[in-house]
Amino acid sequence: MTGRVGSFAASVVALALLLALPQFLRQYYLGLATRMLIFALFAMSLDLLLGYAGLASLGHAAYFGVAAYTIALLILRAHLGSGIAFPAALVAATAIGALFAPLALRARGSYFLMITFALAQVVWSVAFGWRSLTNGDDGMPGVPRPNFGWSLDSTQSFYYFVLAIVGLAALLLLAIVKSPFGRALRGIRESESRMQALGYNVWRYQFVAFVLAAAFAGLAGALYAYFNRFVGPEYLFVIQSAEALIMVILGGAGTLIGPAIGAAVIVFLEDFVSSMTQHWVMVLGIIYVLVTLFARHGLIGLIVDYRQRRSEP
Amino acid sequence: MIWVIHTLNGIAFGMLLFLLAAGLSLIFGLLKILNLTHGSFYLLGGYIGLTVMRLTDSFVLALLAAAITIALLGAVIERFFLRRFHLDELPQTLLTFGFLFIFADLSLWIWGGDPLMLAQPRIFAGSLPLGDYVYPYYRLFLIAVGLVVAGALWWFQEHTRLGTMLRAGVDDAEIARALGVNVSLLFTLIFAVGAALAALGGVLAGPVLSVYPGADFEALILAFVVVIVGGLGSLRGALAGSLLVGILDDFGKAFFPEFALFTVFVPMAIILVARPTGLFGRG
Amino acid sequence: MTTKETVPFGVTLAPSADQRAARRRALRAIAAAGAAVLMLGALDPSARADDAIKIGILLPLSGNFAENGQQTLTGLKMYFDEVGNAAAGHKLDLIVEDTQGKPDVAVTKARKLVERDEAQVLTGVVSSGEALAVNEYSRDNKVPLVFSGDAGADELTMPGPLLNPYVVRVTQNGRTVSAAAADWAYKKGWRKVTLIASDYAGGVDVMHGFAQSFCRLGGKVTQENWPPIATADFGPYLTNLDRTADAVVTFNPGADGLRLGRQYSEFGLKGKLPVLDIYGTVVYESNLAQLGDAVLGMYSSLFYTPMLKTPENERFVTEYRKRMGSMPSNEGPNGYVGAHALVDAIKAVNGDLNDKMKFIAALKAVKFPSPKGDISLDKYGMVIQTMYIREAEKVDGQIGNVPIATYPNVDQFWPFSEAEFESYKYTYKDLKGSLTDCGKVLAKK
Repeated sequence: MTGRVGSFAASVVALALLLALPQFLRQYYLGLATRMLIFALFAMSLDLLLGYAGLASLGHAAYFGVAAYTIALLILRAHLGSGIAFPAALVAATAIGALFAPLALRARGSYFLMITFALAQVVWSVAFGWRSLTNGDDGMPGVPRPNFGWSLDSTQSFYYFVLAIVGLAALLLLAIVKSPFGRALRGIRESESRMQALGYNVWRYQFVAFVLAAAFAGLAGALYAYFNRFVGPEYLFVIQSAEALIMVILGGAGTLIGPAIGAAVIVFLEDFVSSMTQHWVMVLGIIYVLVTLFARHGLIGLIVDYRQRRSEP
Repeated sequence: MIWVIHTLNGIAFGMLLFLLAAGLSLIFGLLKILNLTHGSFYLLGGYIGLTVMRLTDSFVLALLAAAITIALLGAVIERFFLRRFHLDELPQTLLTFGFLFIFADLSLWIWGGDPLMLAQPRIFAGSLPLGDYVYPYYRLFLIAVGLVVAGALWWFQEHTRLGTMLRAGVDDAEIARALGVNVSLLFTLIFAVGAALAALGGVLAGPVLSVYPGADFEALILAFVVVIVGGLGSLRGALAGSLLVGILDDFGKAFFPEFALFTVFVPMAIILVARPTGLFGRG
Repeated sequence: MTTKETVPFGVTLAPSADQRAARRRALRAIAAAGAAVLMLGALDPSARADDAIKIGILLPLSGNFAENGQQTLTGLKMYFDEVGNAAAGHKLDLIVEDTQGKPDVAVTKARKLVERDEAQVLTGVVSSGEALAVNEYSRDNKVPLVFSGDAGADELTMPGPLLNPYVVRVTQNGRTVSAAAADWAYKKGWRKVTLIASDYAGGVDVMHGFAQSFCRLGGKVTQENWPPIATADFGPYLTNLDRTADAVVTFNPGADGLRLGRQYSEFGLKGKLPVLDIYGTVVYESNLAQLGDAVLGMYSSLFYTPMLKTPENERFVTEYRKRMGSMPSNEGPNGYVGAHALVDAIKAVNGDLNDKMKFIAALKAVKFPSPKGDISLDKYGMVIQTMYIREAEKVDGQIGNVPIATYPNVDQFWPFSEAEFESYKYTYKDLKGSLTDCGKVLAKK
């Protein structure tokens, strides 16, 4: 019981802190915090697939990027407003998820990684190669932020916009993983055959998890297009997919808060290290190796391990 | 005659792809590792070959040095890193991704960012006249090397004790172990051989494609396309996939230039939908 | 005994017990992290008391464009060092950020330089994707931006939706280097040419610049070949190449140019079909020794060659080689000229960059001799400079791009007047695939 009270108190403190952030942070760091929130959502969406459904995808950037491109194309090419473009982006990401899921779900383990990787690469090649539509690797600058009655052009107002959306999405994800559906997913993760024997349609659960993960990734991608006012093919590239994986692992798969923390840490490190040294790529590589070797349970796991070790004489 | 040249081009490019894809496929077949560092093995192989070639002016030494160095590097990565996570695909993939980053930056550090081209072995300079056209000898040499490597790998797989062990290991590592196969050693050996093949690909491609930052990702993606088209873990598949992708790429660029970038990815997408195990994959 | 060994990595990472406690602790960790962020925000790295002028440099120092970034940076630093990193009594603080060659990272870094480090002017920028994105940032936030990296898209300094009053460009644009090439090609007697150019906006821009000038003189493009960027094998294009043409015009930046150079002679085309290499992408300085005799006799056009025998250039080349150990290509001189323009303009406004329009006006008024030749700027902030036609020759045992023709004072609309240039109906974006049709290329509005 005290655990629940403490948890609630910590949540309130965290929320208050997030709400107060614009009062303390300089503009640039507020932008960085916005980026952290967006990638926290991206990582949490992948965690639905990886941590709960037990499916490791190396192509999660596809849905992120498809949503971002949908926004840019509809606004800049078709001259539609965000009122249409924003929901359309979510629909597009969800649709691509629903299209890819049956192809990917035929495989497991390394095959699943490879097929998701290949499918994302196909989307990347379209964004990269169809220059007349997408500008290829020049990308599409000048994506205007939505204006739902109030302007989101300032760093502060956009931060609150992102905070609200990511907060709502996180609550929704929490509700999903707490629901019977979420419990069934965890059951499938532990043993597909047992759940099958219990009469669960395993494929259908995995399909829904896959599509939901794609939809939330799309939400993150749409926010990112507005945040940067730019979309480019690197949003779809394997590096982006791998980054989401490392965020989830670093934070701790199978919890929602873990990947969010992992995302914040990675976004901060990238920003910090790339200003310190031009060899940040190597540093990033070393982080991948170290996280895999030593933070196998994620930061969340480290805390639990530490607690357990302390409580055991 | 123009068709002959396009076909030869496609085969030559396909043979380079084969060297890349064979190693990737071999490693996947036995160890079930999605080895993203494969691109680095290609890149580092090319750079090491280039350095040795510049120092000794010997293409053979360049090939040997690259293959041996990268085989050792591969063995180290398998023994001391990937081994810890046997059959646990996610940490393995992330490790290989980390190494891909590390080696990319390391080679930029050592060799700089300018594209570098290996000199050709002198005996293969010049070109073969074919009617109104000519065809470079070096590319004919590439085709020959590809065929020799494919033949050697096939012979190794079918007619040697190690090959038998390999086939047993691919089918079921536990049973192979029970039958007395030193699976642990076999894994390291095969990983090293796969890495060395990629390094050979890097050196052999050097005089045609050059070596430059980013070649690791390009090679990696092409190799994946080939194994997806051909089927994972299958030598026949790697060969068929390489030739198919190589030839489609050449004819696509020549006759459907506006779709140049898609000549590689569209066939892969079709295969993924129609035949997810690839042309020669195990079902 | 911990659970470490029994909890497998990956899909079942989540510690099944103590989840709630873990979350509580995690939330505390967030609070701590948040506090750390607050402290970082409060730290003010740029609030030093001195009155240094802060110059933000945006260049790709990692990734595929790293070499371009590194060379531009060398050029910039060479000039800043020459003036002792000071101008008009102010110290010049150079803050370098790595754009990784990605437009979105470039914008993030621009933000960082301006909003955190309080840079008063930005410079550098290599790829056109980065240029378009940073241009947008500069305009929205009214930050002076001096392009001293490649950044060649025409429309950045031409009247139109992208024109930005805060931008100055000392490098080049896509079309003029090729306009000079077209003029020279026609004078050489060539009337029909085929072309091989990388398939991206820059490639089309360059080839349109060539076709427009070549058509107006009476020449014709007979065939267009557009290999994608990072084409591994030029075999298919070389085999298909129109051999009845007088010459082939090329533009293939990066590793593509190196491959094309090698494969061109392998496929027996050297000596049969002369090459006119716009921007010198095949005969790029670091390619010359690698390609050896294969490049001898290749023509190219560019606004620079290290073989120029002017005091400015000879001094520049000596110092550059000392720093880099290699011959400069176009990037080093561009960076050097960018720094020179900045320093001259800072002097002209006495170190006061607060009046941005006054500073921009001072930038547009600079005029000086440089390693590239004489430099001045037009009213849009675009450089007016000399174009050189070069031929790859052996000089003292080394292959170099020797200047064989000179086009001084080439402005961004050359050889057209601005009015004539604006009277054409189609821009380069409409004309890929139609460059063989001189009627369409020269159609008036």
